[in-house]
Amino acid sequence: MSLSDTAVPPAGGPSGLPDEPPARKSSPSAVTKELIAKAGATRRRAGAKFKIRTGVICTLLVVVPIVLAAFLPLPDPSHQDLAQRLLPPLSEGHLFGTDQLGRDLLSRILHGGQVSLTIGVLAVLVSGTIGIIFGAAAGYFGGKLDSVVSRLIEAQMSLPLLMMLLLVVALFGPSIPVITFVIAIAQWPEVARLTRSMVLVEREKPYVSAARILGLHRVQILIQHVIPNVIKQATLVVLLLLAQAVLLESALAFLGAGPQRPFATWGRIISDGQDYLTTAWWLVTVPGLVIAIMVVGVNLLGDGLRDRPRRKKKGA
Amino acid sequence: MTKYILKRLGQGLLTVFLTVSTVFILVRLAPGDPAVAYAGPLATTEELAKVRAQFGLDLPLIQQYWIFLQQLFTGNLGTSYSFQAPAIQVVLERLPYTLTLATASILLTAVVAIPLGVWMSRRPDTKKEFGVNVLTIAGQSMPDFWTGIMLLTFFAVLIPIFPASGFATWSALVLPTVTIAILQIALISRMVRREMTTNFAAPYLTVARSRGVRNSLLTWRYAMGNSAIPVFTALGTRFAAMLNGVVVVEVVFAWPGVGSLIVRALETRDYPLIVATVLVTALLAVGVQLLIDLAYPLLDPRIRLGKAATA
Repeated sequence: MSLSDTAVPPAGGPSGLPDEPPARKSSPSAVTKELIAKAGATRRRAGAKFKIRTGVICTLLVVVPIVLAAFLPLPDPSHQDLAQRLLPPLSEGHLFGTDQLGRDLLSRILHGGQVSLTIGVLAVLVSGTIGIIFGAAAGYFGGKLDSVVSRLIEAQMSLPLLMMLLLVVALFGPSIPVITFVIAIAQWPEVARLTRSMVLVEREKPYVSAARILGLHRVQILIQHVIPNVIKQATLVVLLLLAQAVLLESALAFLGAGPQRPFATWGRIISDGQDYLTTAWWLVTVPGLVIAIMVVGVNLLGDGLRDRPRRKKKGA
Repeated sequence: MTKYILKRLGQGLLTVFLTVSTVFILVRLAPGDPAVAYAGPLATTEELAKVRAQFGLDLPLIQQYWIFLQQLFTGNLGTSYSFQAPAIQVVLERLPYTLTLATASILLTAVVAIPLGVWMSRRPDTKKEFGVNVLTIAGQSMPDFWTGIMLLTFFAVLIPIFPASGFATWSALVLPTVTIAILQIALISRMVRREMTTNFAAPYLTVARSRGVRNSLLTWRYAMGNSAIPVFTALGTRFAAMLNGVVVVEVVFAWPGVGSLIVRALETRDYPLIVATVLVTALLAVGVQLLIDLAYPLLDPRIRLGKAATA
C-alpha cells in the first residue's frame, strides 16, 4: 500500500525543474518513469480503476433498464400471445424472444428484475443495519453482550442455512416481505463480524480515550465517533452482500420459493424455461446471463473499491 | 483435551437440539395442513380428521413436542408421511449420495483452488494474475443452478458425454461436482491468495529469504504453513455447508441426495421427514466443525486445544 506513496521520484519534487542541464539529470534516485509505470503499485491502481469502471458499466447495463422498465416501449410482461410462442431472440418486436406462452422475455426479465432488486436492496439494508448495530455494540461494549452476539454468529454459521431459508419460505409463503426478511437474517452475521472486529481496533485509539475524558457518554462516543470511522468499510461489505442477496433470491425462486406476484423473478423464469432447454435455449441462457452480468458488475465494483489505494486528503 | 472435546460435543449437541426444536415448532406454527397434502384435495372432513389422528396432529402442541422429545432420545422420529417408512431411515438412505457429491466437490476444489491461489499470490499485479482474478470474480457471480443447467445443456444434451441426471454410473458425478466446484474454487482461491499475500509480506519471510531459503520452501513450507489453518478452516466449513447446502445442484441434476429430499418433504409438508433431515444434516455439520477444530494441533503444533476453548 505504502509503495504508491514512496514511488514518486524525488526529481519531479516540489522544486520541479524539468529542463536541467544533463549533469543534474541523473537524479539521486534510480527510479525512472518507466519503472514507475511498471511498478506493482501502479498496475494495482490501474487494475482497481479497470474493475471499478467495468463494474459500474455492467451494473448500470442491467440496473438502468430495470428501473426504467415502466417507461420503455415493451409489451406487458404477462401478456400471452400463443401465435408468437417460443420466438428466438432478435425477432421483430421481441429482442430477447418469447417464452412458451408467447410472453416477451425481455419484458419479463426487466419486470422480474424490479422485484429481485427490490428484495435484494431491502434485504441488504435490513441486514446491514442489524449487522452494524449488533457488531458495533458487541465490539465496543464487550462482555456479556459480546459473547451473546458472537455465539449467535457462530451458531448461525454452523446451521444448514439454505435449508432453513427454504423451510421458512415454504412454510410462510413466498411473499416479498418473508423473502426479504429471510435473506436479511441469512446475511447479518457477515456484517456484524466485520464491524465487530473493526470496532475492536478502533476503541483502543487515543481519540476514544480523549472523548471519554471529556465526559462523553459511552453510547455517544460509539455513535458519534467510532461508527463514523468504520461505516465506510462496512458499507463496502454491504455492497458485496447485495450481489449475494440477488443470487440467494434467484436460488430460492428457482426452487419454487420465490415471489409469484406481481411478477415472476429471475430464478423462476429460469426454472420455467428448463423444460424447453432443447427447443428454446434462450429461455434459460438469457436470464442467467443477465443475473451474472449484474452480479459480476457489483462484485467487480466492490473489489475495485477495496483494492483502490487510499487517496490522501487534499492539504493534509 | 478430553474435557475440551466433551465441552465442544455438549455445545454442538445443544445447537442441534435447539435447531431441531425450532424446526419442529416452526413447521407446526406455519399455515398449511399436512393432512390435506397427504389425503388429497378431495378428502372429506372425517377423512382429514382420521389422518390427523393417525399422525398425532390433533394433540396440543406441547404434547406433540413431548412425544417428539421421547422419540428423539430413542432415535425414532416417526414415520414419513409420503414414504411410509421411518423418517430417519429415508434420510440415511439418501445420505451416501450427498456425502459422495460433497466429498468429490471439496476434493476438486482443494486440488484446484490451493495451487491457483498460491500462483496468484506469487505474481501479484501481473496481467495474468489480473485475468485470473477477474475470472474468479465471474466464478463467484454466476448462479449455481444456472451454471448447472448450462453444463447440462452442453455436456449432456448437445454433446452427450455425461448422463443428465440421477446417479447410475460414476460419470454422472462429473457435472454436479464441476458445478459446485466452480463457485467454491472461485471463493477458496481468492482466500488462499489473500492469506498467502499477507504471509509473503511478513517480516519472518523476508528474514528467511535473506538467509537464502529456497523459493519453493518459502512458499510451501513457510507461507503455506502459516496459511494452512485459515485455508483448512474455510475448506472444512464449506464441506460442512455442502452436506446440506447443495440443494440447488441436487435439484438441477435430479441427484438422489438429502437436498432434493428436503425440497420434496417441504412440498408435501412431511413433518417427520423435515425434522429428520434437519436433525441428520445439523448433526453432520456440527460433527465436521468439531473435527476441523480437533485437526488444528496437527496443522500448527503451537495450538493447544484446551486453551483455544477459553480464549
